[in-house]
Amino acid sequence: MATIREKGYYHWDGRLEERRFPWWPITRTGIQLAFKKKWFKFVFALGYAPAIVTLVLIYISERLEDFKSMFGGRDQLIAVNPKFFMNFLTNGGLIFVIVMVLVFAGAGLIADDLKHNSLQVYFARPLRKRDYLLGKMAVIFFFVLLLTLVPAVVLYIFKLIFAGSFRFVADYPWLLLSIAAFSAVLTVFFAFYTLLLSALSKNSRYVMIIVFTVYLFSQILYGIINSIRGLRGPGTALVSIYENLLQVAAFLFGQKPPHAVNPGWSFLILAAVCAASAVVLNKKIRGVEVIR
Amino acid sequence: MSIEVSNLSFRYGDIRALDGVSFKLGEGAVGLLGPNGAGKSTLLRILLGFLTPEKGEGTVLGYDMRREQAAIRRAVGYMPEDDCFIAGMDAVTYTAYFGELSGMPRQEAMKRAHEVLFYVGLEESRYRLLDTYSAGMKQRLKMAQALVHDPKLLFLDEPTSNLDPQGRVEVLELISDVASHKDIQVLLSSHILADIETLCASVVILNKGKLAAEGRLEDLRAVDYSLFEVRVKGEDGAFRRDLEALKCRVEETEDRLIKVYMPAGMDRGEIFRAASRTGVQVRQFVKSQTKLEDLFAQVVGVD
Repeated sequence: MATIREKGYYHWDGRLEERRFPWWPITRTGIQLAFKKKWFKFVFALGYAPAIVTLVLIYISERLEDFKSMFGGRDQLIAVNPKFFMNFLTNGGLIFVIVMVLVFAGAGLIADDLKHNSLQVYFARPLRKRDYLLGKMAVIFFFVLLLTLVPAVVLYIFKLIFAGSFRFVADYPWLLLSIAAFSAVLTVFFAFYTLLLSALSKNSRYVMIIVFTVYLFSQILYGIINSIRGLRGPGTALVSIYENLLQVAAFLFGQKPPHAVNPGWSFLILAAVCAASAVVLNKKIRGVEVIR
Repeated sequence: MSIEVSNLSFRYGDIRALDGVSFKLGEGAVGLLGPNGAGKSTLLRILLGFLTPEKGEGTVLGYDMRREQAAIRRAVGYMPEDDCFIAGMDAVTYTAYFGELSGMPRQEAMKRAHEVLFYVGLEESRYRLLDTYSAGMKQRLKMAQALVHDPKLLFLDEPTSNLDPQGRVEVLELISDVASHKDIQVLLSSHILADIETLCASVVILNKGKLAAEGRLEDLRAVDYSLFEVRVKGEDGAFRRDLEALKCRVEETEDRLIKVYMPAGMDRGEIFRAASRTGVQVRQFVKSQTKLEDLFAQVVGVD
């Protein structure tokens, strides 16, 4: 190490400003750190595979004349409608990739700060708890929206371009709202879900496993309960995160829910997870606990 | 005044952590001393705005500690005791990041991060991942993040803990430089009394949540007793007993140096008269500075 004061200390002649979005540096740094992680770029890129396949399907559906020989002269191969967009957003593969992105980019968001005692340095700045949490949440918002809302809107625009008319907009005027609303539900739920688990441990590897396992286990549990004759019923879907998301999506896209249970219950369950997360985060995120 | 508090009280449930603490801190480096549970950390938490006091008022750099917490945190640099870093970051990014969170524009924060990292002696390692830093480097890094936004007041919590002797000397040199030449006031909380004695002109001593002593070290040393170091030739047992009978506290070191703590107002000639009475010859007589350890032991009531 070099000698202290080799270069001397200078006062800074600038002025410290009150930021309009004090959480933004936290978000930007969180995004940058995620991209530095091994395998993350690959997993994130994988999230666009469903969008690319869907884009090809939209193209084929609009240019069916060119592909008639391949599909035996059928008049309609794929119906591009709200259900089509709902299927894109609730695609099991896409949700799985989102969970994997959360594993890489979200698990350490709070766990690493707890492990390395960084909270006290954050809160020694003019930063409120809500700025810190919003900064961390916005990292998840960024990634989940990039995998849901952005490709869905791009697909919507391509549908219009390939069709060469705005008839689709007139047929389904609320579709963009449905896309935005479901993307928001996915994003907010996964943000609370990930931060909740991230705040429960100081070990980000452990959190990575938990983020993945809880999602998967809820699906496995649903499968197990559904396979037991006495327990089988539409309400069993409520134990699965994925099935609850399907129920909510069906409601928001104006489709028939996959399970004969009121989608309001699924909304309630997802909201309960978010509320539990808010309570835990409020308790765990304190600058004061780490100063001895 | 950099810090002024009056009648500050705080309790954790049934435990009273601070009880009517009042003091005013002026310029320069101030040491915050006290045994475990004395209320030092609680005081720092309140000063940083992490805790709201149950009673009492106070200002930090003129900002009200209840209503202007953001302004206080903008003007104060805080170096915590624990290691605190962000995995996957290098020192420049880390320091600039916290500069930006303090309210610096991004580019300015980056430029400034380089400057302070040069200042604390981390210029060669500033692009290394923090995970690979040694204890000494982490201490310097914590100092850099505390200085990045050019604070007017620095809170240093045990800045020399976990350091080897050379690292300790270097960090003390750095703090001394900051405190004495850079118009930055320093509040140093430490268990190492020698560090406080080296760096601070004033101290605040807390004990059981109450203010035990406060003021300039020089004044505090002079308050209650004078310390003399004496060497004598001959049997010193009777000499020591004679002095103790005069209400002096007497200690003898391994090399037979006798420390005489003389109550205020007592004539130093009493030592010579006691020597004469007990038949010993005084070979060395030096008026010594009262060490902070002695002062600390006296005000908190421990040996």
